[in-house]
Amino acid sequence: MGNIFPRWTNLLAVKILVCLGALGTCVVAVAWYSFTPKFTRVGYMPQQPIPFDHSVHAGQLGMDCRYCHTHVENSPHSNIPAAQVCWNCHGPGKVKSDSPKLEPLRRAMDVNDPNYTGKPIEWVQLHKVPDYAHFNHSAHVNRGVSCVECHGRIDEMPVVYHAKPLSMSWCLECHRDPGKVLRPLNEITNLAWEADDLSPDEFYAYVAGKTGTSTDELKKADTGKEWDRELIGAHLQKAWGVHPPQDCAACHH
Amino acid sequence: MRWFFLILAIATVALVCALGPRGQKFSSPPFMLFPDMDNQYKVKAQKPSPFFENGQGARTPVEGTVPLGYTYPGESADSVARTSRDYSRGSDYLNTGLFGDFYGKGFPEEIKMDEAFLERGKQRYQITCTPCHGEAGNGAGIVSKYWAIPPTANLIDPRVKEMPEGQIFWTITHGKGLMGPYNGVTSVNDRWAITAYLRALQAAAGK
Ligand code: HEC
Ligand code: HEC
Ligand code: HEC
Ligand code: HEC
Ligand code: HEC
Ligand code: HEC
Repeated sequence: MGNIFPRWTNLLAVKILVCLGALGTCVVAVAWYSFTPKFTRVGYMPQQPIPFDHSVHAGQLGMDCRYCHTHVENSPHSNIPAAQVCWNCHGPGKVKSDSPKLEPLRRAMDVNDPNYTGKPIEWVQLHKVPDYAHFNHSAHVNRGVSCVECHGRIDEMPVVYHAKPLSMSWCLECHRDPGKVLRPLNEITNLAWEADDLSPDEFYAYVAGKTGTSTDELKKADTGKEWDRELIGAHLQKAWGVHPPQDCAACHH
Repeated sequence: MRWFFLILAIATVALVCALGPRGQKFSSPPFMLFPDMDNQYKVKAQKPSPFFENGQGARTPVEGTVPLGYTYPGESADSVARTSRDYSRGSDYLNTGLFGDFYGKGFPEEIKMDEAFLERGKQRYQITCTPCHGEAGNGAGIVSKYWAIPPTANLIDPRVKEMPEGQIFWTITHGKGLMGPYNGVTSVNDRWAITAYLRALQAAAGK
């Protein structure tokens, strides 16, 4: 009997395995880079029925997010404002009331408009967690997590886009170490807030009052540490007893 | 084998390049690999629902009816045109700012006036009223500069200072003239808190 398998086939199985391994690695690499929420969601910027501009309203006019997103502090859902809220400023005799861009608003609100329908404006939703995961705005906003951590600098966006991946690993990354992001509750909607905007003396007095230590003790323990977001966040986490959940049932119930 | 690796490497790089870098702006709905259970068939806040004829998930009361636990408050005796006439939770002073047809003076007894209440009023005033009436209440908020028909009311004016509390509450609730109603975006308690803070602003202005 001659050799059924010529000599070169000795390494064939190994070669195939190596090739398959390389192929698998490449597929994973492409999927990791191009099919995860960091790629598929970040940057989503749909066309809205009205070209509403956050950089004008929240930035230039300095309006607080809660003027429009009124229920963000006391409900799981952060509401998109009713047309009435826009109408209070863009109604007849007010601001830019006959701008062509506001045509859908007049259709919803202006009974004298020939195209009046009285139907709500159909804004396109960008941020969405799947229905099997539960997210609660009030639980975050009332614990010192600012809008900017999850939505980016909305007050600088002429058109809102999806700035963060909102994936499960992203949620958990913060839940494991929330100390970096916490800030005083009255600065939640101030997206430009920085550590230097806070006076250390007032802050230490507040923390001392909350934790029952003295201001001097706190200051002494912090000597040599830089006054930054992390330091403030760490104090707040301790003072408020913030422990974000990591068990599956917290978000999947 | 060498060719295989070369082609594989080129194909991978080409695919990633063709799809582009992370963070690009795009307007079509995000690609979903496994959309199972992501969009369940239930009514969600502010979302459409194909179940109802008009496609709206949130239901509005049938015309000519008033929801249980709500009433239509009566009109006030003054004839100033109001922007809206909406339901309220009851027809007592707390919910309407009226005693009968007349604006009430003072704060309802359900309201506990303390520092926290004034702080709340300050916060809500700065969120809701500052854009138009200004931080000091003098009517010089940033939006007032854009209004086609000036001026925005000066709230530290003696006229407003002499207004009964009930009238200020009613004005926030139903609007007045060019000012729209703010009952949808402020709760009853917050409206009283804003009224209280307004009183503090007027006292501070000292006119
Ligand atoms: C004048 C009213 C107004 C103000 C003030 C405002 N928003 Fe909005 N916001 C809207 C409207 C209307 C939309 C829906 C249209 C759109 O997406 O552009 C929206 C959309 C959004 C969205 C995207 C919602 C989605 O579909 O996922 C986010 C996030 C958001 N706003 C955050 C903020 C933050 C943060 C602030 C404060 C800095 C703010 N908004 C201030 C009116 C407002
Ligand atoms: C507190 C008052 C206020 C509210 C509430 C408000 N806007 Fe505006 N809006 C303004 C002002 C002031 C301008 C003009 C800015 C300028 O001229 O630079 C403006 C400009 C605009 C423009 C540009 C118009 C043009 O022709 O250039 C659009 C579109 C717009 N707003 C949409 C909305 C929508 C939609 C809402 C409701 C979610 C809304 N606005 C709520 C004050 C307001
Ligand atoms: C911890 C992260 C986080 C913070 C902080 C946060 N959001 Fe959100 N936001 C989300 C997520 C997640 C969603 C998607 C929710 C969903 O699918 O219902 C969302 C959705 C929204 C929406 C769209 C709601 C809809 O259904 O159309 C608006 C508007 C919004 N957020 C505004 C705000 C504002 C304003 C603040 C600050 C006061 C804020 N958010 C703070 C994570 C956050
Ligand atoms: C930037 C930080 C941050 C991110 C991002 C974040 N969280 Fe949280 N989360 C917190 C903090 C802080 C708390 C409050 C913990 C506490 O109250 O002790 C919290 C609490 C919660 C709770 C408990 C709420 C309750 O009622 O007690 C849930 C559920 C939750 N988060 C879900 C999510 C989901 C889902 C996401 C992703 C879409 C997310 N979180 C992203 C910081 C974050
Ligand atoms: C902080 C909140 C949070 C916790 C805790 C959490 N999840 Fe999730 N999970 C999410 C969110 C948000 C998503 C949706 C992610 C997305 O759409 O990219 C998700 C998605 C998933 C998915 C579906 C993935 C897919 O793409 O189909 C599975 C499976 C899952 N989680 C399992 C778990 C298990 C098991 C645990 C406990 C070890 C857990 N989760 C804990 C928030 C959470
Ligand atoms: C969109 C801009 C705008 C906002 C926001 C606004 N107002 Fe006004 N307000 C006006 C204008 C304009 C007038 C003058 C109305 C008229 O006389 O036609 C007015 C009038 C008033 C009056 C009556 C003054 C008088 O002389 O009779 C009171 C009281 C008042 N506002 C209180 C408030 C309070 C409190 C808030 C916050 C909850 C608020 N307003 C928010 C624009 C606004």
